[in-house]
Amino acid sequence: MAVNPQQEEFRERAVVADTGAPGMSTAGAPVRQTSLWRDAWLRYRANKAAVIAAIFFIALVAYVIIVPFVSPYDPYAVDFSQAYAPVSLKHPLGCDQYGRDLFTRVALGGRVSIGIGFAATIAIMGIGIVYGSISGFIGGRLDNGMMRFLDALYGLPYLPFAIIVTQLFRTVNIWVMIIALTIASWFTAARVVRGQIISLKENDYVRAARAVGARWYRILGRHLLPNTLGVLIVFVFLELPGVILGEAFLSFIGLGINPPKASWGSLAQDGRDVYLAHPSMILIPSIAIAWLILSAFFIADGLRDALDPRTRET
Amino acid sequence: MTKFIIRRLLWTIPVLLLVILFTFLMMRQIKGNPFRKTERAVPAAIQANLDRKFHLKDPWYEQYANYVKGVFSFDLGPSLVLRNQSVNDIVKSHFPVSLELGAYAFIFAIIVGVPLGVLAALRANKPTDYIAMLVANAGFAVPSFLVATLLIYYFAVKWDVGVPTSGWTTWQSKILPSIALGFFPMAYFARLVRGTMLETLQQDYVRTARAKGLRRQRIVGLHVLRNSLIPVVTAAGPLLGAVITGSFIIETIFAIPGIGRYYVSSVSARDYSVTMGLTILYAVIVIFGNLFVDILYGFLDPRTREQRT
Repeated sequence: MAVNPQQEEFRERAVVADTGAPGMSTAGAPVRQTSLWRDAWLRYRANKAAVIAAIFFIALVAYVIIVPFVSPYDPYAVDFSQAYAPVSLKHPLGCDQYGRDLFTRVALGGRVSIGIGFAATIAIMGIGIVYGSISGFIGGRLDNGMMRFLDALYGLPYLPFAIIVTQLFRTVNIWVMIIALTIASWFTAARVVRGQIISLKENDYVRAARAVGARWYRILGRHLLPNTLGVLIVFVFLELPGVILGEAFLSFIGLGINPPKASWGSLAQDGRDVYLAHPSMILIPSIAIAWLILSAFFIADGLRDALDPRTRET
Repeated sequence: MTKFIIRRLLWTIPVLLLVILFTFLMMRQIKGNPFRKTERAVPAAIQANLDRKFHLKDPWYEQYANYVKGVFSFDLGPSLVLRNQSVNDIVKSHFPVSLELGAYAFIFAIIVGVPLGVLAALRANKPTDYIAMLVANAGFAVPSFLVATLLIYYFAVKWDVGVPTSGWTTWQSKILPSIALGFFPMAYFARLVRGTMLETLQQDYVRTARAKGLRRQRIVGLHVLRNSLIPVVTAAGPLLGAVITGSFIIETIFAIPGIGRYYVSSVSARDYSVTMGLTILYAVIVIFGNLFVDILYGFLDPRTREQRT
């Protein structure tokens, strides 16, 4: 992610391309300065799959945020006259075994699932940045020790580890899920950050900063961390699916979010018992999960190409 | 090479000790007193006996030392809930099932995933490629509980091709769970092989081989495929974790008597010694799985040996 000659070169190319675009250039007008982020945006926009994925992603997030506000149905109110109501105009996705509108409940579950996903991902990044920067920046013995510690944590498989952490608390709620999923999966983020810091540390501009007497926090905050940003943004979209799947799995086996609270995992668990008569009940939350994972995946792909042009050739 | 292997082997000892320590300390936090969970007052004398039997009053480091001793002599202690059953008994009777399931899942993943990736790479950006990648992406994104449910719905119920919906007895009963568990690794292998094949196809030595007039099958078989399969070996390590995670779900759905299902029920039943023992068993599998992959990788790609020692 370092600002390197290739990127500089690309910047110039992008400027030329910009001014060449119709409606953008008037003879003699000052050439518009394109920032690194504008470049990235232009590259991202050119990637059709990534743009479509982003639209799907935003649509899903908008759905889970908006629908519970505007829905006329109470997501917890039981109405047996509507139990397993089929798809209709009144109930776009039908109703569950208690006659609760699924369109509303899936949105509500999405709030929980996506909320847990984003919160845990941010926490993972936070811990990863702190741990990885300390390890990579200071280096030497400390780095070695910290990495061996990570090696040991890697020995613990994800789901059993998360389950044990949830058991440390009396009840399992959203916050416990966030904590458990974070603790069970922050190591990769720490490794990624450390790797970035170590490779960036050797750059000439860091040496120059050091030579003019910049303090460590300035080097770290001004030169190293901003340059890891691109990689970290990509990482968020790679990490999000894992966390959301983890939540779904935990809730599905009954060790996560429990009914009547809805999450995509617990909704799928509801549908699990009646899949023969009412397959849509397990199908719909699963499709929501797949929708989110696939769109996050293609967004990550597009972002990687956009933020790190060096990988574009392959 | 022997030095490399010995060093990696020795490294697993402190790692294992640390993993046991983490698990142990975490379990201690939740432990409290498992015998009071019924809210029924236990007579003081019996409580004292129980404390003595399970060493509950010893200082934690002595308990830890005891436990480590137990682990290294393959004794994981008694179950707290299932009377007269030790954790070893549970492992002995249920682990082979999980192992078999995991092995079949991996076999399915390799014999379907690798050819799918090869096909996609050889017909890159053509309909075959798109269909193969559609399957792979679906396997990547669709949660395994849906894969399992769909398999049961269509093959066991709707079309009824003679496979039961649950259990782990006849060979027919083993097909659907193995496919359901192997679906994600299959997708992973397919994507991975496609990526590395495309990369390898652009290498200079492939161009040379083509230039000197070698037949296409020979180039692909001899040069491209062999080099593209190395990442499959390395991916097998991390996938081990995914398969363990998946087995929780699959064993629950198909009612398979494996340790994944036991793990889940031991957590609900607060049978801490079983939870702890099985967690350590999983950790051992993951650690040795990764070790095996590292060593195999060292053989396959000599360049990595120098870096890692």
